[in-house]
Parts: sequence; C-alpha cells; structure tokens
Amino acid sequence: MFKTIKSKIIVSTIVILAFLMLAFGFHTIFSRMNAKQLMVQNYRAFMTAYFDEISDSVARLEDNLKSLTLIGGLFYKTDRSYELTDRAITKIFESYPETLGGGIWFIPYKLDKNKKYVCFYAYRDKNNKVVIDRNFASKKYDYPNQGWYKQIISEITPEHNFVWSKPYFENQGSYAMMVTMGSGIYVDNELVGIATVDWEIDSVFEKISKMKPEDRAFSMYQKGKKIENSFALFGNKKQDYILATNDPYLEEEKLVGRSLKAIPWYAENLFYITYIKYHGKKYVPFEFKDKNSGITLVICVPKSEMFRSVDEFYIMMIIIVLLFVIVTLALVYYGLNIYLIKPIVKLTNIANKISKGEDVHIKVEKPEEFAQLASTFDKMTSNIKSITKEKEKINSELSIARAIQLSSLPSVFPAFPDNANFDIYASMTPAKEVGGDFYDFYFIDDKHLMFLIADVSGKGVPAALFMMTVKTLINNIAQINCPPKELIKDINDRICKNNSEGFFVTMLSAIVDIKTGKIIFVNCGHNPPMIKKNKGEYEYLKMDSNIPLGVFGDFDFELYETQLEAGDIIFAYTDGITEATNTEGELFGEERLEKYMSEIKEESSVYGILNQVRSKISDFVGSAEQSDDITMLAFKYQNSEKRFLKQYKSLASVSNYKSFYTWLHEVCKDFGVEPELMNKLDMCAEEIYANISFYAYNGEAGEINVIMKKDEKNITMVFKDNGKKYNPLEKPDPDITLPPEERPLGGLGIFMVKEMADDILYERVNNRNVLALYFNNLK
Amino acid sequence: MDVSVKPFGLSGLKVKAEGRLDLENAVVFGTTVKNAIADSDEPVQELVIDFEKIEFISSFGLKVILELYKCMKEQEGTLKLVNVSEQIKNSFRMVGFDKFLELD
Repeated sequence: MFKTIKSKIIVSTIVILAFLMLAFGFHTIFSRMNAKQLMVQNYRAFMTAYFDEISDSVARLEDNLKSLTLIGGLFYKTDRSYELTDRAITKIFESYPETLGGGIWFIPYKLDKNKKYVCFYAYRDKNNKVVIDRNFASKKYDYPNQGWYKQIISEITPEHNFVWSKPYFENQGSYAMMVTMGSGIYVDNELVGIATVDWEIDSVFEKISKMKPEDRAFSMYQKGKKIENSFALFGNKKQDYILATNDPYLEEEKLVGRSLKAIPWYAENLFYITYIKYHGKKYVPFEFKDKNSGITLVICVPKSEMFRSVDEFYIMMIIIVLLFVIVTLALVYYGLNIYLIKPIVKLTNIANKISKGEDVHIKVEKPEEFAQLASTFDKMTSNIKSITKEKEKINSELSIARAIQLSSLPSVFPAFPDNANFDIYASMTPAKEVGGDFYDFYFIDDKHLMFLIADVSGKGVPAALFMMTVKTLINNIAQINCPPKELIKDINDRICKNNSEGFFVTMLSAIVDIKTGKIIFVNCGHNPPMIKKNKGEYEYLKMDSNIPLGVFGDFDFELYETQLEAGDIIFAYTDGITEATNTEGELFGEERLEKYMSEIKEESSVYGILNQVRSKISDFVGSAEQSDDITMLAFKYQNSEKRFLKQYKSLASVSNYKSFYTWLHEVCKDFGVEPELMNKLDMCAEEIYANISFYAYNGEAGEINVIMKKDEKNITMVFKDNGKKYNPLEKPDPDITLPPEERPLGGLGIFMVKEMADDILYERVNNRNVLALYFNNLK
Repeated sequence: MDVSVKPFGLSGLKVKAEGRLDLENAVVFGTTVKNAIADSDEPVQELVIDFEKIEFISSFGLKVILELYKCMKEQEGTLKLVNVSEQIKNSFRMVGFDKFLELD
C-alpha cells in the first residue's frame, strides 16, 4: 500500500504536518496558560483597586469610630455638655460621608446612678443632613438589650478595642442590612461605654456591581438573573462570620452572620485555588483581605465567562490550523496527481503501447523533468525501434541462412528405400548459433555410395557459409570418377585455394561398393567412427588420421580400407556428441559413447540407433544448453543375396484395400514373417492405409506407394502419398484406462501403430507424406 | 464377409462371422448385428459373438466391438466373445478392452 511514490510523499507530508501540529499544540497549551494567567492577574489588579477603596472606607469608619470614642471619653471625664457633644458628633459625621449613622452608648447607670440610658445617636437623613436623634435613650429602644450592643460590649477588650457586630436588619430608620462597628470607651482603664458607627453593607455590593473589567466577561449577580454572573462574598475573617454575600444559593439560607466555613465552596487558601466547582459550574475565586480590619472579599467569576475570549481565540487558531493542514494535504495530493502521477501514468501507458509494437510518440510538456525524460524516452524508443528492426532483419536473415543450411543436407529418409543393399540415416541437431557441421551422401557412380560427416572450424555465419562452399565443392568433385586418393587430395587442394579466412574442416568420408561391401575411409582430423561387426559390439575403428582439410595443400592422405559383411553398421559423429556438456560441466566423452552404444538394441534400424543415441545425450545433458551442433550418421550394410524389397503402387480406397492386404500377405509369406509379426504388420498397414485414404486424400482415391524391405533383423514398411500434409503421430493418444462408457470410438488405430512399431518416422518431403515403420524381426 | 445372427434362449443372440474384421468388413458386420438387435422381438439380454472363424481384427473391428458393447450396456444386456484366439486377445489387451470385455 505504501509502495507508491504518491503514498510515500503523502505519508511524509502527513508526518511533517503532524510534527508541526504537535509543536503548535504545545505552543497553544503554554500560551493559553500564559494568557489565562495574565487574565487572572489583570482581574486581580483591577479588583484590588475596588477592594482598596472598600478598605479605605473601613479605615475611615474606624477613624470615625475612634473620634466618637474620644468624644465619648471627653464627655464622661469633663463637663458632660450635651450640646457640645452633639456639635462634635455632627462635625465628625460631616467629615466621614460613608457613615450612615453612629453613636455613643454608655453602660447603664455608669455615668449617672439615676440614669439608665445615656446615649448619643446621629444619622444622615434623606437630604444627607446629619441629624441627632435622642429617641434611642429610651426604655422603648432599650439599647443595652440590642444584639449589637451585647455582642460588642462582650467582645471588646483594651487590647482588641474594635469589634464588628454581626449584620442585622435595621428596621428603625434605614431598613437595610447593617453592620455596626464598635469600640470601647475606656476611662482610666475602665470601660464606661461604647462608640459605634453603622455601615450599610449593601453599599459594598453597590460598588462591586459597578466593576466591569471587561465588557462581556464580568457582571455581578443580581436577583432574578441566571447564575451566569459573578458573585461575591464579604466577610470578617478575624471574627469569622459572613457579612454579606450575593451567592444566589446562599442568599436565602440566612447564612449572614454565620461562620465562613458554612459556605460550601469556601476554603482557607483560596488564593492558591485556580477554580472551584460549585453547582456544576467552575468559578475562579479572587480573595482580598485587609489585615487590620479583618474584612475579606471573595469574588467568584465564572471560568467560562472569564476565559471565553481566550478560549474563543484558541479555538479559532485550531480551526485555522486544521484548515491549513487540510488545504496543504489537498494541494499536495492534487499536485502529486497533476505533476507526478499523471506524467508517470502517461509514460507507462505509452511504454506499454510501444512494447506492444504500436508506433506512438511521447509528449509531456510539464513538469520540466518529465518533459526531458519523455524526450529522452522518445529518442530511446526510436533508437530501439531501428535497432529492433535491424536485429529482426539480422535474425530473420540468420534463420533463413539456418534453414538454407539445413535444407542443403539430405533429409529424405528412408534415403534409398528401393535399394536393398544398405540403409543410411543421418541427423543434425543444430545448436542455437549457426554452426558448421554437415553430412552428405550420394552415389558417385551406379555402385559406389559416398557418405561423409564433417565439421567446419568456428561458428556463426562465416562458418556456415564456408560449410556450404565445402559441401558443394566436395559434391562436385566427387562426381568426377577418379581414384579415392586423388579425389581427396583434389578436394583438399581446392578448399585451400578458396580459404582466405583460414578455416579448416575435419571430415570422415567413406566410399562403399554396395555390391561387394568394400569400404574405403579417409579421416581428415575427425573423430574416429565406430563399427559394429555382425553380432559383435560397437568399437572405435582405428585408422590413421590425416590433417584437416584446408590446412595446407599438396598433402597425401592416408586411406583405410576394410570389408563390410551383411549387418555391419558404421556410426560416425561430430565432436558435438563427445563434447556435449551437462550442468555439472562434465563432458560426454568417447568412453561414455562407447558404453551407451553397447546398450543399443541389437535389432535397431539405423533410424532407431540415432534416436537412441540422441535420447541418451539429452538425458546426460539435462537442462544445460546445447553448445554445438550434434551431427551423426549411421550406415548399415546388407548382404544383397538375403535382401528382400517389394513395392506396391495403386490408388488408396476402401475398395482397393483387399488388393493391398493380399499383396501384403504375399510379401510376408515371401519374407517368411512369423504369424505374430504378420498380424502386427497387417494391423498397422491397414491403419496407415485407411489414414491416407480418409485424411490425406479426404476419401478420394489417390496414389499410394508402399515399400516393404526386410533384412536380417528388420522389416521396414514405407508409405508414400501425394495427399495433403497429414502426420498421424501428432494425434494425441487415447486414454485406455477410461471405463468403456466414456471411451471415444476413434483414435485407437494410431495408438496401436505406435505400440506395435519399434520406430516410426514421418516426413513431409516435396509435397509428399512419407511414413516409415520399422519392426524388429528377431527370430 | 459372412455374418449369421441366430437367437438362442429367451433373449439371446449368437453371432457367427467368418474372415477379417477390418476396414472392409467391420462396418457391414456392425450394421448387421445392430440391426438384428433392433429387430429382435424381445430386448436382447445376451449377445454372444463367436470368434472361431475370425482370423483378424483391426482397429476398425475393435471400434465396432466397443460400439456393440455400449449398445448392450444401454439395454442392460451383456456382450460375450467366445473362441477368441490368443492373437486376437492380444489386440484387445493392447487397447485395454480386456478390462471390461468378457473374452473366452
């Protein structure tokens, strides 16, 4: 899957992008954290200013209170003038505008044993005018029994002379949540009364609600609104109680005045807490403390609100980056297709077309590299085309040369079917490269047969050409009737004359008198032939070897003469056999040849001998390539007095068949064929006869020529006809193991012929079908 | 070629022939026997061919015997060859007919 360039580039791109995204991711996380921290710092700085204002107010209230304490002390110690004191109080209140009201309250009967209630109280009216109210020094109000009084009087000591009352709802004048701050009036270390100032807590929230550090992210909770907003807690840490809160969940629980610990989300170290979870929502707490007064303010801002702008920014960034990645990948994919894959596919398609032999030109315009490649490709193609043409031409010329060379060798076998005195068969199995092996045989007069086998030095076309020259030259000279010694000398001299390239030819040649069996050999540097004397083994025929032909002229060749008896066989070959090499590099060699020759069936025909040698060689060579032509020739001499040769000529047809088998039976009788073999001959002859009639002539009567030959060991039956090409050996064999129901009716005949005949040879020669059947005739 | 076909038993046919069962005669022989099978009133259950006087059989003859065998097989009958000479038996063996033919 990842084997194509395309997928590799895409994968690489994805990996690079992944690294970039990873880097971006880390950067985003850190910068987002920084941004949030900055935001928190901004909020804190902003809120601190507000808290400082509140602290200032508290400090001023304290100052106010201290002033009242002083006035109270003075009043107690000095003239106790109510008028002066009223004026002083009014003056003080005018200079502390935050104070709603406040007063001086003496402990009952402390000032005057007869007077229980001695107090001063002033407040701001609706016109912000300070008014002294004397109504509080009454039994009706009974200030010593008010909660704030009791709390303050009980909690103050000379050391901690400043106490906040718990918040309470004032229902006399202002109808608001109030908190009262009190301080003891000590005269000569004796507590005589307290001074108080009242503070409307809601004013704190009024201030806070005006905070707006940012347009969207911050607004204080207001009643009836959703808790998407911030809320605040205002408390006294020193005395540990809640002064006020607009926490919408706590508001109704009357927590005001109770311990800060009663608030679920509250914690001692709120400063270090990044967010709290409260009713399923996250809030960032900001805590502010005033050490002097102990007041504390906690403002909780919803996290989502607070960081919305930051988060939105980063979500935007992520979307942009993802879009960038997608667009990059799409561009890479598209670019690959257009600039890489398409040209490659185009080149591949064209290359395919060219390989199929189509005449196509390649044109790719861009990218430049491919344009260059395409033009190189185009050049190469046209070069290949011309080279291929040339090569094809050479090849076809070579194969024509090879065909001419092969066709120049005698190829009609049986070679002289109507001659009863001998049998000759030769074959050449050419190697891949054109070589220089050849054989030849012909009558040089009416009773002398000349046969030869030769090997021109070298290979290839020059050797083949030289071979043709030599073969023709020998044939021409041989026709001139002259003694063999002069003949071979003449041949050698002429070859030397025509040999400008320095070729030489090894040759074994023989001239046989077919009437007497006298045979004269000349061996010109060739492999020694083998001879099988009747009933003996094959053995090398030892004779003097001469120089090869064409080495130098005017040479006297030594001849070798011997007498052949009926049944004697000569086997000649070229070094293609002895030098045949198997896959292990072993040579076939003369010894192996001798051994294998001894294994050849006694009764084999000349055709059968060569066939068996050929199969031995191919078994030995195995899969190794044949490096040289393999050429061999077998000659079998027969004694003419024991010879039998009969011929039948007629038209092949079913109606003539009877005359044919009658002839056949007569011949068999003459030849003295045993009944078993005769039955075989009868069956085979009938099959071939029928085939010629039905297939070669399509049922029309055509000429058939049958020759029967018998020697001591073989019966040879040769059929010739002028019909269309028909090779019965090409028919596939029927499967004789099939059950009878499945067996086809035809095809039996040829199968039986193949079974019964010992050798079969089919050849198409001069528009004639020639089929030779060889039967061993051992008695 | 002389071919004589005679019924025997309830549903048997006995064929006697003389001469060569070859290219010239095989077709005539085959047709004669097949006609006799077809003409028989009762379906033929047993076909016996006497080879006593048959001196030669070629591939054409073998082909006809295979045809007759198939023909008998179709009507669930049997084919039996009697008095077969060793030489002719060899011909049957060569093409594997001895595996299914009853040779006597």
